[in-house]
Amino acid sequence: MGFLDNSGDIILDAVLTDLGRKRLAEGNGSFKIAKFALGDDEINYGLYDKNNISGSAYYDLNILQTPVLEAFTNNMSSMKSRLMSIARNDLLYLPVIKLFNEGNTALNSEFSNYLNLVDRNTVDSLAGTGNNVLPAGIINGDIPSQGTNLIEVDQGLDTIELPGTSVIAQDLLETQYFIQIDNRLGFLAAPGTNANTNEALSFTPTSIDDDQIATYIFTLNDDANVVTRIGENDASAIVGPRGTKVRFKIGSSLDLKTSTFLFTQLGSLGTTAITGQGGATIAVGGYRYIDSTVRVSGISTGYTVDLPVRFVKKTT
Amino acid sequence: MATSFKTFDDKDSVVTRNLLHEAIPITGTIISGTYTNKAGTEYNIKTYSHGMFESVYDYPYLSSSANHIFDLTMGYAATAAALSQSAAADYSMQPKKINIYNQMAQILVGFDENGAVRLFDEDGDLTSGTKMKAVYFINFARLLSKDEVKKGSFTLKLGVNSSYETGSFKQLLTITDSSGSSGYKVNSPAGEYGILRASGSGVMGVAGAADPLSGSFPKCGLLYYQAGIAVITASVFVSGGLRVLGGTGIANKGLNNQVQVIHPFDSSATNDLSPLVFTGSTIDANCNALRHRIKSISFNNTVELNSAVYFCRINNTDFNYSANPTYLSASKLVVKTYPTDLPVSYTTAVGLYSGDNELLAVAKLSEPLKKDPSTEFTLRVRLDY
Repeated sequence: MGFLDNSGDIILDAVLTDLGRKRLAEGNGSFKIAKFALGDDEINYGLYDKNNISGSAYYDLNILQTPVLEAFTNNMSSMKSRLMSIARNDLLYLPVIKLFNEGNTALNSEFSNYLNLVDRNTVDSLAGTGNNVLPAGIINGDIPSQGTNLIEVDQGLDTIELPGTSVIAQDLLETQYFIQIDNRLGFLAAPGTNANTNEALSFTPTSIDDDQIATYIFTLNDDANVVTRIGENDASAIVGPRGTKVRFKIGSSLDLKTSTFLFTQLGSLGTTAITGQGGATIAVGGYRYIDSTVRVSGISTGYTVDLPVRFVKKTT
Repeated sequence: MATSFKTFDDKDSVVTRNLLHEAIPITGTIISGTYTNKAGTEYNIKTYSHGMFESVYDYPYLSSSANHIFDLTMGYAATAAALSQSAAADYSMQPKKINIYNQMAQILVGFDENGAVRLFDEDGDLTSGTKMKAVYFINFARLLSKDEVKKGSFTLKLGVNSSYETGSFKQLLTITDSSGSSGYKVNSPAGEYGILRASGSGVMGVAGAADPLSGSFPKCGLLYYQAGIAVITASVFVSGGLRVLGGTGIANKGLNNQVQVIHPFDSSATNDLSPLVFTGSTIDANCNALRHRIKSISFNNTVELNSAVYFCRINNTDFNYSANPTYLSASKLVVKTYPTDLPVSYTTAVGLYSGDNELLAVAKLSEPLKKDPSTEFTLRVRLDY
């Protein structure tokens, strides 16, 4: 008589992340594990061979042979894609979060990222003094509310196999988002525009971790007005059933506005001229920049998109 | 509603305590000999200008690869009888030796009812009995002893021949705390301690039944388990079975920093001289004399590991989909052809999160684990503190 399979219960050793260690050291009760999630960062589902002629046992042969890395202790580097629980098993489509790369929310076509002008001098060099109009993909980081350009990501089923007019299922609708940004470099600001205000209209981060990554949380129809439903007639990156959109601006930190220290430490000297409004330019070597990313994650679905942002400061 | 987190309830975690032991073998060649140049300089021994102790490393201490393994020092009580028998010129570093003894005694033995520092007692009975007034201290680094030395695991092999340069291990003492696992003392302010006893060829019967070295497995020191300190009586080197400062001397000073120490049964009158090395030589010279006679030290250490075990209960309806960008192609699941196909996902990591969704700990699986609606399992994630 054979032995019963006793492999159903698996013991894993966990390591604290740097944030976990920091909270433990703080001793103020902020280190309290309340929930868990499963991650599959190493998995490439493109290896799933559902047409393998040998049968279903061979579909995932390559995936199961995927080598797994040891744990990273940087909390931002682990668990980048999480598994999801959805009560139904019959889903063939899942929503994505996608950058809306058009109009005043488009990436800068020259650099394929968002240029964030960190101070008045840099803004004036590309928009003209007293003028707030900037080309697409260039964001006024000095006073975000004065600029018209912003960032938008859309959530929904991005497939032409389903009509864009159909309603996304309620259990696939993302209603809450994390947005994470390097707090040394910038902050999130409201998407609205008011050319006559000098106020930044910034939001307060929910938390700032040990690596100075600030996390903001926005909910559908909250006062921030960052998360809204995508209207039936709205332009959107989603071609199928639409969910919600996230719109925000980025303001530059005081350090970037007033000092070149971080630009020297983390950044580089510009090697391509930046073209602004009406032919205004900042020449090669006339500015320094820092490349960073802003991460937008759906809290329910765990879907994540990283947006490239370049903080620019004119130096001559 | 889609969700990527699952909340623990009260029954999903438990705290456990485990004791972890490591074997620590220290060979005598590391302690003396391996890192010595022709001039006799020992690069793994660090001495200090104050001269109150010396530190032993497992590699030349100027290297960043070196690990501190223990410190050696010695001292005697101000009330030691032999002090009055030595010539004043031979009182080398006497105040410091007394200070060391008192410092160690007040930490390890404590104070009596009058506030006076107690002396080290050979059997742990502080009310009476024989006191150890002249002792060597081996202070093991925290790196080795960790939370404590495992009781009953300590062995020190000590050569007690007259000269360490020639045949120093001819007469050998094996000093152990063999009774430590079953019998140990708890009347020290520094935690638990055991009685060290000597055996081996260095132990021989001598005249005078009252002498502790005369019987089998005589008492020769104390081992403080949590403090990681071995206290060895200098009597282990006494000729004729007398206490080091109790009358007959233990050694004479040789040339070139060589200190001759007489094993307990060397009755040679030429080696059995006063002044005593204990009073007449520096602390460093005494420590060197001891160090060169250590053949080996071994013990097991103990680490008390408190673990929180989190039971990640993954039901059949949980975590069957993924937010991995490769999971979708134009929003369509790449692992399904028809809606009736079961979804499948593969997990490689478990993240433990705070209530505000911050990642506090992460555990990795050794290989991807398949999850679909026909399976459910419990992953036990252990977090050690």
